[in-house]
Amino acid sequence: MGKNNLIQLMKEKAAGVGTIVHEISCVSEAIKYAVDLNRKKKLKILTCPGLDQKDRDSLQDLCKSSGMNLLKEPLRNHAYLIDTSLTWVDYGIAETGSLMLASDSEDIRMATMLAKIHVAMLPIAKIRLNTEQIEAELDEILKNNSPSYTAFITGPSRTADIERVLAIGVHGPVELHLLLIKEMKS
Amino acid sequence: MIKTAQDMKSYKKQIQQALADSFLRSALDEFNTVYRENRPNVYKDIDFNSLRDAIAENKDSLIPFLEILFEEFKSNAQKAGAIVHRARDARQANEIIARIAKENKVKKIIKSKSMTAEETFLNTHLEKQGFIVTETDLGEWIIQLKKEGPSHMVMPAIHLSRYQVGELFEKQTDLKFDSENIDKLVKVARHELRPKFLEADMGISGANFAIADSGTLGLVTNEGNMRLTTTLPRVHVALVGFDKLLADLGSALRILKLLPRNATGQAITSYVTWIKGANQSLNTLSGKKIMHVVFLDNGRLSLSKDSVFSTSLRCIRCGACANVCPIYSKVGGHKYGHVYIGAIGLILTLFFHGKDNDRAIVKNCINCQACKEVCPVAIDLPHLIKKTYARVIKEDGKTPVKNLILSKLMKNRKLFHFALRAAYLAQQPLSRGKSMIRHLPFFMDKNHGFRSLPVIAKTPLRDIWQSLGPELKNPSLKIALFAGCAIDFIYPGQGEDLLKLMKKANIQVDFPMDQTCCGLPAMMSAQEKTAKELAIQNIQAFEAKPYDYILTLCASCASHLTHNYKKIFKEDKESGQKIKLFTDKIIDFSSFMDKVYTFPQTHENIETKVSYHAPCHLCRGLHVTNEPRALIQKAGYTYVPAKDEEVCCGFGGSYSIDFPEISSEILKKKLDNVEASGADILVTDCPGCVMQLSGGMDKRQSPIKVIHLVELLAQKK
Repeated sequence: MGKNNLIQLMKEKAAGVGTIVHEISCVSEAIKYAVDLNRKKKLKILTCPGLDQKDRDSLQDLCKSSGMNLLKEPLRNHAYLIDTSLTWVDYGIAETGSLMLASDSEDIRMATMLAKIHVAMLPIAKIRLNTEQIEAELDEILKNNSPSYTAFITGPSRTADIERVLAIGVHGPVELHLLLIKEMKS
Repeated sequence: MIKTAQDMKSYKKQIQQALADSFLRSALDEFNTVYRENRPNVYKDIDFNSLRDAIAENKDSLIPFLEILFEEFKSNAQKAGAIVHRARDARQANEIIARIAKENKVKKIIKSKSMTAEETFLNTHLEKQGFIVTETDLGEWIIQLKKEGPSHMVMPAIHLSRYQVGELFEKQTDLKFDSENIDKLVKVARHELRPKFLEADMGISGANFAIADSGTLGLVTNEGNMRLTTTLPRVHVALVGFDKLLADLGSALRILKLLPRNATGQAITSYVTWIKGANQSLNTLSGKKIMHVVFLDNGRLSLSKDSVFSTSLRCIRCGACANVCPIYSKVGGHKYGHVYIGAIGLILTLFFHGKDNDRAIVKNCINCQACKEVCPVAIDLPHLIKKTYARVIKEDGKTPVKNLILSKLMKNRKLFHFALRAAYLAQQPLSRGKSMIRHLPFFMDKNHGFRSLPVIAKTPLRDIWQSLGPELKNPSLKIALFAGCAIDFIYPGQGEDLLKLMKKANIQVDFPMDQTCCGLPAMMSAQEKTAKELAIQNIQAFEAKPYDYILTLCASCASHLTHNYKKIFKEDKESGQKIKLFTDKIIDFSSFMDKVYTFPQTHENIETKVSYHAPCHLCRGLHVTNEPRALIQKAGYTYVPAKDEEVCCGFGGSYSIDFPEISSEILKKKLDNVEASGADILVTDCPGCVMQLSGGMDKRQSPIKVIHLVELLAQKK
C-alpha cells in the first residue's frame, strides 16, 4: 500500500471509531492544539508525560499565558485533576485506526487513562498497515526480561452495557484526538 | 445469587417467569436479529472461515500441552517480577487470592470483568473474609448492585432496562436520575467509581490471553476500567484459566482479529493491553507493583485429555453462541446457563459446576446449529451439548423414562411402525376426518395447544409405494428414497409428488422397505446406542443395490445421515468405508433438483407470492441455501423474502414436545415475519418444518398455505 493510501486508511479507520484526526506539521502546532482545545472545552489542567524538556517548556509557557495549569509528575498525587493529556504514541495501526503506546511509565498510564481528553501525537512515518506489521516490535518488547505495559488504544472509552446503547467515556477518556505529524523522522 | 434449576419442574417455572418478562423478550429478540444482520458487514474485510479454522487448529495443537505452556509462562513472567500460582479448583484459587490480599494488608479491592472470577464465586469468598469488593465494569457493577450473576458473557446486564439500572443507581447514590438518558447513567458510574479506583489497595482482573514464550497477559476491553484496575492499586492479581495459555504473540493477534468482531461487532476493542511482570508503581516502596497471576485448573486439565470434550477448551468467551440462539433470545441467560451461559454454558456447567446445575438446562437445545455456525473456534456445540446430556444421564445413573421408551420402540422397526399405525386409529376421534387436530384433548398440557397437530396418514407411503408403479423400463438414473418417519407416516403425499416428478425425468426411485427412522430423535435424547443401531439398520437396508443417489425430502434426516453417521462410527475403523459409501450418496431434495435433475426454467410468470423457510439442517447443516430459492423462481413463482428466513421454526422434533412454551414463541416470530412478507404460500423443504409451520398457520387461521417444495414443483405440468 502506498504511503498516502496508508495515511488515508489510518484517518478513515480512526475517525470511524470516534477519534478526532488532524494532520499537522510540527510539535509546536500540537502544543497549541492541546491548549486551544482545553480552552474551547473550558478546561484548566494539562499533563504531558514523555515530552522532552524543550516541548514541555513551550507548553508550560503557553499554559501560563492562557491561565491554565501544567501538572508536574508524578501524576498519582493529582489523579483527580487531569483534564487533558498530551502524549506521544509509538505506532499507528491503519487497518483498525489503533494507536500503540508503550506505557511502562506510570505517569503515561495515569495521563492516558484518567484524562477527560487524550491528545496523541504520531509521526506519520510510524503508521503501519496492521498488527502483523508491528508484531516483531511488540514481541521484542514482550520478550525483554523487564516488565512492560503496552496498549493498543482505539477511539475513546466506550460501553454498551445498558440496553446495548453505545455510550462514550465511561471510565477512560471521553475524547481521543490524533495529531498526525508530517515533518518527523521515524 | 445464582439459582439454577436442578430439575425440570422448577426449570419450567423459571422459563415461564422469563417468558413473562416483556423487556427481556423484546431486547433479546431485537439483539438476535441485529447481531445476525450486522455480521456480513463486520466480516466484509476478513475471511471468517479460514481464520476460524486456523485458530481452532492452533488451539488444538496447544491443548495437550497446557502444563508445559504454564511452566514456560511462569518462568518468563517471574523473570519480570510477577509471582505465578496454580490453583487446582475454585476454592483453592479463592484462597490464594484472599491470602495475597491479607499478606499485603489490603482492605479495598476493585475488579475488572472476569468470567473466571465469576466461575469461582470469588467476590462471595472475599467478602466473607471481610474485604470490600467493587466491580468496575459497568455491566458487572450493575449486577453486583442487583446481587445477580451475569446473563451474558460479554454484556452481563443485558437483561436489565435503563429504568431498572436507574433505580439501582438511585438506591446506591441517594440521588435522582433521568433514567431515559443512558449517557447520564453511564456518567454516574464514572463519577461513583473513580474514587474507588483511587482508594483501592488491590485490583483483580482476568485475561484473554496468557502468552507462554514471553510471560505476558493480553486483555481485551472497552471501558478503560481494566486499565485503571491494573494500574492504580499497589497490588494486581490476574485470575486466568489454563485454557487461555497460548504459545506466542502471533496466536494472540490472530484471535484478536475474530474475538471483538464476533463478540460486539468491533474490528478491535477500545483497549487491548499487554501486561508483563511487575510494572512501575509509585504507590509502593519498591517502586514496583505487587503482581500475581493465578492459573485456574478447575477441571480444565482433565478436559484437555478428554477425547470428546477437549475442543470445548478452544472457547475464547465471545458470547456469540448466545447471541444467535433462538432459545436464549426467548428466556435470557439466567435461564440458559449457570455461570457460563449460552451453548458453551450448557457444556461447561457440567465440568465446572457439576451435574446438578446442568441437569435441566442441558436439555434445552433445539439443535438448530446456529451457534455452531458463528463459533469463532469451530466448536461443534450442538453435538457436544448432546454428548454432555448423555454424560449427565450417565452420572445420574438413571435414564428418563421417556428416553427409555423412545429408545426401546425405535430399536425395533416393526414395533415402531406398528405403534405409528396404531396412532392413526387413536387420533381418529380427535381429527374427525380432517388432516389437522385443532383442539387438543383435555388431558394434554395446554402449553401444547399453540399449533394444530398433523394426523398420521391412514396408509403410510411404504404400503402404497408398489401401487404407484415406481418401476421404469430404461431409467436414466436409479435412486433410492430415504423417506424418514414424517414423509412415510404423516405426509406420504409428498413422497407421491416426488415420484411423479422423477417419472417425468425417467428417474427410477426405489423404496427399500427395511429402512427405519434415521436416528436423530434417539441422538437428541442422548440414546447413543439406539442411534447407532438405527444407523446400522439403515445402511444395511440400502446396501442391496448400487444406487446413484439416496434422496431424502427431510433436511434433518439428510444432515443426520451425512454428518452424524460418520461421528457415530468415528472410532470404528472397519465400518469407515461402508459408512462413507452410504453417506456420500445422500442428497437433499433441493440439491438434487438443482444439480442432478436440472429443473427447467419456466417462462411463465405466476403471480402467486412464495416465501421460503430455510430448515436449520439444510442451510446450516448442509450449507444448501441458494438452490431452493432458485427452484421457486425457476418454477415461475414470485419469491418474496421474509425476515429471518434462516432462523429456526421452533420444531426441533421432540424439542417442541419437551419445551412447547419456547417452541411456540419461536414459531410466533417466524409466522409474523412470513405474514409480513405478503406471501400467499410458504415453502420449505423439511416435513418437520412443514408440520410446525402449517400447524401454527392453521391455529391462527391464516390463509397462507404451507407446503414442501416438492409439492410446489409437482404442481407444474
